[in-house]
Amino acid sequence: MPKCLVCYKWTLDEQDIKIKPEDLSLDSSRAKGKISDFDRNAIEEAALLVEKNGGAVDALSYGTPTVKQSLKDCLSRGPEKAFWIGDASAEAADASVTANVLAAAIRKLGQYDLILCGEGSSDLFNQQTAPRLAALLGLPCVSFVNKLSVEGDTVTATRKLEDCVENVTVKTPVVISVLSEINKPRIPSMKQVLGASKKPNEEIKIADLGLKPEDLQPKAVRKSVKGFVMQRKNVIYKESSAADNVAKLKASLVSEGLS
Amino acid sequence: MAGIFVFSEDSALAGQLLTPALALKQSLAQPIVAIALNEADAKALASLGADKVVVLAGKWVEGLADAIYSQVKTAEASVLLVGGTLRGKHVAAYVAAKLNAGMTTDAKALRIEGGKLLATRVLYAGLAVCEEEVTLPAVATIRARTFLPPPASATAATIETVAAESDTRVTVGEVTSTSSEGIDITAANKLVAVGRGFRKKEDLKLAEDLGSALHAELACTRGVAEDDHWLPIERYIGISGQTVKPELYIAVGLSGQVQHMVGCRESKVIVAVNNDERSPIFEAADYGIVGDLYEVLPLLTAALGK
Amino acid sequence: MNFELTEEQQLIGQSAREFGKQHLEPIAVELDHTGNFPKAVVNSLAKHDFLGLVLPAEVGGAEAGFGSYVEVIENLSRYCAAVASIVNNHTIAAYTIQHWGTAEQKKQYLPAMAKGDILGGFAIFEHGPTPGVGPDALVAVKHDVGYVLNGKKAYVRNAGEAGVYVVFATTDPAAGAKALTAFLVKADTIGIKIGEKVETMGLKGCPVADITFDNVVLPETALLGAVNEGGAISAKALAIASVAEAAQTVGIGQAAVEHAAAYAKQRVQFGKPVATLQAIQTLLAEVATDCHLARLGVQNAAVLIEEGKPFEVEAAMIKSFLVRLGSKMLIDTCQVEGGFGYSEFMPLPKMFRDIAGTNLLDAPGDFPEKLIAASIA
Repeated sequence: MPKCLVCYKWTLDEQDIKIKPEDLSLDSSRAKGKISDFDRNAIEEAALLVEKNGGAVDALSYGTPTVKQSLKDCLSRGPEKAFWIGDASAEAADASVTANVLAAAIRKLGQYDLILCGEGSSDLFNQQTAPRLAALLGLPCVSFVNKLSVEGDTVTATRKLEDCVENVTVKTPVVISVLSEINKPRIPSMKQVLGASKKPNEEIKIADLGLKPEDLQPKAVRKSVKGFVMQRKNVIYKESSAADNVAKLKASLVSEGLS
Repeated sequence: MAGIFVFSEDSALAGQLLTPALALKQSLAQPIVAIALNEADAKALASLGADKVVVLAGKWVEGLADAIYSQVKTAEASVLLVGGTLRGKHVAAYVAAKLNAGMTTDAKALRIEGGKLLATRVLYAGLAVCEEEVTLPAVATIRARTFLPPPASATAATIETVAAESDTRVTVGEVTSTSSEGIDITAANKLVAVGRGFRKKEDLKLAEDLGSALHAELACTRGVAEDDHWLPIERYIGISGQTVKPELYIAVGLSGQVQHMVGCRESKVIVAVNNDERSPIFEAADYGIVGDLYEVLPLLTAALGK
Repeated sequence: MNFELTEEQQLIGQSAREFGKQHLEPIAVELDHTGNFPKAVVNSLAKHDFLGLVLPAEVGGAEAGFGSYVEVIENLSRYCAAVASIVNNHTIAAYTIQHWGTAEQKKQYLPAMAKGDILGGFAIFEHGPTPGVGPDALVAVKHDVGYVLNGKKAYVRNAGEAGVYVVFATTDPAAGAKALTAFLVKADTIGIKIGEKVETMGLKGCPVADITFDNVVLPETALLGAVNEGGAISAKALAIASVAEAAQTVGIGQAAVEHAAAYAKQRVQFGKPVATLQAIQTLLAEVATDCHLARLGVQNAAVLIEEGKPFEVEAAMIKSFLVRLGSKMLIDTCQVEGGFGYSEFMPLPKMFRDIAGTNLLDAPGDFPEKLIAASIA
């Protein structure tokens, strides 16, 4: 009956972000919020574990006050209760601040058997939260997991690394980060969506976390953000004869010294 | 504070880290300390410019995180550069938390400016590029092949072996190697990448033939590897897959979404073959053919094979 | 005045969109070519509670409002309007049972319909001038054991796949439509014959056929509502159906304009993307505008339905608007995509045929303009 906590991030959907042609700056004015893709996998994995073993799933998120918009979405995906910290400090927070805040909140919330995160967030993809949380909370960390099971107080995980697949076992409590291939997040059914508003959520105020001002000071600061624009030759051959196109392409490759 | 630390469990990548480390050494005038997992690697790193090498013996890389932290902390290092493998990122973030330090992931470029570490990295699944300023001590991970290793320049490096306490809370069981083919597409000079424009697995032969004619390796998009399982995951190029920088990248039957292109957009020449003229791939390509790949590929193979 | 969707409506729309992307997009073109009823998809719809969306919780429904319902229909229609048709016709049948059924009837059918174990069909139209009039009219004659039905119903959607049909017959041929009476008819009732499937122009996959009634005996308990109440029942049901179908039209139009816009940004002619040409901009702008305004009209009508307020005039207005401008959305977007979009393996031709179908379907009264004019003059 594992007691699970999933940490998730409410991000801007990067598909809605536009690059302004005049100066390559980003326009996120029309970007909608979403639960970070990999966090959806973490929420789904926790929900699956609890469906299999009993227990419960809580969710925790730290963001600007817009994080409130994520609660029903999150609760429609399996968790029983959502805790949230909506604070302006999240705007400039880097991975160290995020971990400080989440760790302080977790200390306040009590004991969990598994703390799950996505391997990284879909917007910034820093891939730091899980190991940082483990370090701050004095817990072991099993990262990049694509298969997970629990039996009593023993967690068995399979990690998918670049050159190998590694099986590990560890006793709870443990921090886990999951890969997107671990599962396919459910499409919340209509009843799950409508049932979400009946589930509880609780705000945690940053002031109640006992953090020092320096804990909320980001150490990594984004100085400039510019849209990436591909500068390519864009020479497209679209004659009606494939043979003609191939001949032209070959000539181009020869001129590039590639054929 | 003194010390520019470098670490990667991947020997080749560890060597590459010395290039940015040497540049940082120029700015900070601090010694380079490399952490290695065995004597042989230690000697190699010494020959590439490390001033000191500490050998930590331990079986599970992630379990050495505390020991690495200990080294970095004792030396009061300014910068820790870690090879951006998945293991490396795990270790780096763990150490960063214990150091109470900022960390930049997958830095593409690094320099010291105004007493801080300035790093360039990618955001929003490849949509944007940003500069991140990290106060010292700073941690940064760097992916393989971002830098070339420096030329050999032996220093009077001391090599010290330290008994390391490994994290015993995690028991590592069976480890199965997955690089069965031994194919490393990131080392390929030319690549032919396939997407879902191919109707069935057998049709990939058309791309293989083109690859043979060009002496190019085969690669693919996420769907072909993760959903269809037509090719192993090692051949998947994209935001959570491989990043490649070949001379020639031929994209066949793939639409060119940003999540894929971020893995190959530093290729010298990009060619696209697609029957949909509106596909984003054509915007990302130097040359392209609008046409049916089933018709174009055999013709291309014949033409380029000569 | 709040024009924003509620959080629930947004999340419901999101689920419907994800469902459309995952389950409908891969089969849409093939479904259009084969017209084979997509049983697996309908089962998946049931699992996500789409088939009992507006039904009350005590029968296993999700008890969502009509505002959520049109959000679902629009989003499903973006990917495959034929499947949305299946859902619409099923839902209208269930709605009718929910509002006019006895406790027994509701218990008999609604839980199974909410779960998707039984699909619903709605048999109102006939080949004659109006339901209840003409040689083929469906006539229900009172009998000691109940009623005997003879005649024919036309253009019944979900025909052959439904487990229960809401059927409208006249109990007095002389009075014709004024004596229209509703019945619940199980699909396996003896004497019912599902005719040959009509090869429709669009919305293929949602089966359409005539149903012949040959001395079909129904018990008293099959009566839905009161005798002669059928006219009022069908008018209300068709009015709601028209709003649901308008949501289909909007969904198809939205998908079409997004597709055409993406095309226009890429297609280069005369040295520039055609999206920069005034002629193309005008076409896209008109479609986007009509689609946007139609959506607002649909949402407004849906809210009125949710609040139990009179909505028939607003529903007729939306119907009238889309009859005039619905197909234009596809005429214009097809023009934008030109020869390139004209292939049957591209999405627009199917949408062109589908959207025409959504404007032919149910409408309250004779024609919408009559009702609208009557409300103001």
